[in-house]
Amino acid sequence: MILYNMRIAMKSLKRSPILSTVIVGGVMLGITVSTIFSTIRHSFAKDPIPHKSSALHYIRLDSWDPLRPYVPEQPTIPPTQITYRDMTALMKSTIPVRQSGMFKSNLWVSLPGGMPGGHGAGGTAAAGSAPDAGPPPDSAKTAASGRAPAIRPERVETRLCFADFFTMFEVPFRYGSGWDRKADTDAAQVVVLSEEENEKLFGGANSVGRTIRIMDRDFKVIGVIDHWRPSVRFYDLTQAFLSAPEKLFIPFTLMPPMQIGTGGNTDGWKSGPSPGFEGFLASETCWLQFWVELPTEEKVHEYEDFLTAYVMEQKKAGRFGRPLNNRVTPVLAWMAEQGVVPNETSAMAVVSLLFLAVCSLNLTGLLLGKFLARAPEVGVRRALGARRIDIFMQHLVECEIVAVIGGVLGLLISLGGLKILNKWMQVVLNRGDLFRIDLPMTLLAIGLSLLAGFIAGVYPAWRICRIQPAVHLKVQ
Amino acid sequence: MLSMRAIKKVYRTDLVETHALSELTLEVGAGEFVAIMGPSGSGKTTFLNVAGLLDGFDEGTYALDGEDVSRLSDNQMSRIRNRKIGFVFQSFNLIPDLDAYDNVDVPLRYRGLPGADRKQRIERALEQVGLSSRRRHLPSQLSGGQQQRVAIARVLAGDPRLILADEPTGNLDSMMSREIMDLLERINDEGTTIVMVTHSSECAERSHRQIHLLDGKVLDAEGPPPLARPRSTASSAGVVAS
Repeated sequence: MILYNMRIAMKSLKRSPILSTVIVGGVMLGITVSTIFSTIRHSFAKDPIPHKSSALHYIRLDSWDPLRPYVPEQPTIPPTQITYRDMTALMKSTIPVRQSGMFKSNLWVSLPGGMPGGHGAGGTAAAGSAPDAGPPPDSAKTAASGRAPAIRPERVETRLCFADFFTMFEVPFRYGSGWDRKADTDAAQVVVLSEEENEKLFGGANSVGRTIRIMDRDFKVIGVIDHWRPSVRFYDLTQAFLSAPEKLFIPFTLMPPMQIGTGGNTDGWKSGPSPGFEGFLASETCWLQFWVELPTEEKVHEYEDFLTAYVMEQKKAGRFGRPLNNRVTPVLAWMAEQGVVPNETSAMAVVSLLFLAVCSLNLTGLLLGKFLARAPEVGVRRALGARRIDIFMQHLVECEIVAVIGGVLGLLISLGGLKILNKWMQVVLNRGDLFRIDLPMTLLAIGLSLLAGFIAGVYPAWRICRIQPAVHLKVQ
Repeated sequence: MLSMRAIKKVYRTDLVETHALSELTLEVGAGEFVAIMGPSGSGKTTFLNVAGLLDGFDEGTYALDGEDVSRLSDNQMSRIRNRKIGFVFQSFNLIPDLDAYDNVDVPLRYRGLPGADRKQRIERALEQVGLSSRRRHLPSQLSGGQQQRVAIARVLAGDPRLILADEPTGNLDSMMSREIMDLLERINDEGTTIVMVTHSSECAERSHRQIHLLDGKVLDAEGPPPLARPRSTASSAGVVAS
């Protein structure tokens, strides 16, 4: 019967094309607006790693100044990052299945001279310099160990992390893989390239085994990441979390010997005992993100106990002068705490849904007029044995078909609208793929269309199914 | 087949009460062909609406095919209309978007018959009224007589026990009227009971019995003839129109 009703509905739509167009247009408008704003909100709020977001936990410790809290207005909030000393100590725990401290830097990268380079390697050297990374190293400009001069150094966003990073965050690989824990221990000069950086340096070829130069050292490429675009850079929410993942990944343990500074935020309240880089590492400066993978509640509790014991021990050593305040926060909770979803996007999504509801209610009048004009036909159908529910369903199906047509058109227009928005985001944030209508959003748009059709059509369909057939038969 | 006892039907507005049927008592036997006549406002259409379960009544009892239909639910009445009653209207009442085939299909859809069964019934009914070649014509592409024949095919496809015809020739010229009356007569010959409201004495004369209504009452009450022809068990195939 549903197919029969759909066929009847299509005939009805053809019978009054102008009215049908107006009704479809109303739904289309409502769906376009609601889909665009819902997609924007969804892009911020969706779970970036749904398989294991509840198992990944961000760690914070309140090692801040005993005399004043980290956030004076909210004294219970600990620093968003941890110190190098604490990270080094926490990495010794065997409770997490995986764990990694990490930070972002901007490092000078080039291809050693004489090696076949990619098409993008030349002519794109960054003109600026970063205080953290310093000026281009001499070795980037001149021969090293008898090699020809390097090709145009360029500053590249690099993440220093531990071997577990790649498995912990389910990073997909096109070629090779991440490094192993031994490489961490050995501070091996290995590098994982992003898809884009591999394209730029090696023209997209399998570059595993090739060499690139980072600062003044040669690094062996051991892996190339496949297309990896988490909706937000959730593993580092301390800054620019809408940006794409970094282009290079190297072992964290190279940081001390290469004296690599951070390109991210640093918050400190007490200098180290000595000046220079060693002093910085020994200071109470919070600059590292730290993640652990704890797959069960038991593991979480065990790790919380471990943190408590660690802090209590540190208190005895004269550190951690503030009340015990450790945080073990899962991904989504951490995103919420960091305000990843702007309040404005939620408000706009709600307003857009209300707009859709208004569109639907306005269509109710048009549909009611259309259906009541068809009362004589309904009278005939009732005389021939149609039940009220048959009439109701026939007309509701017609409403839903109109709504789905409007919804699909609205979805297509939304795709165009979001494409324009993404182009703008590319200019502003260098991220042109942030807003995407994925399967959940497509289903939401279709679901909203059906809901709009129901809201608009339920009353007219109910009215028309209640008519007295005898009254209208003579009119036919 | 149809037994009404002291049926009262009153239409009420804030100011006026109109007694459309007053103590109407009427019997129609199975296989009869009865013509209901009377001036405008005598209650013919109200009688037909009540008889066809398209409208309710205020008092009295009504048994259709031996079943008391006074207190049926809306769904039950729809089921009876679909299975036991066929309607033929003065203005044909075909659905304008649907071609002849699909118009005949309408009551069968609501009966929930399988596709093959529906197809067989539709083709046979259209053949019976001589419109097989016009099955894909829309009502607007058919003459008045052809439209009425499609409406009759719609009735035949459902194989009802009772046909209620409201001025079936009212919109047709005399030649077309004769064709339609021939068709109804042949259907009745197969055993289907027909109750026809008409103003035309020529049409009424072709019925077995005429009942005159006035002011919602039967003017010349006359029981069913003692030898109402029994319903034939044979297929209605063969009621071929010209």
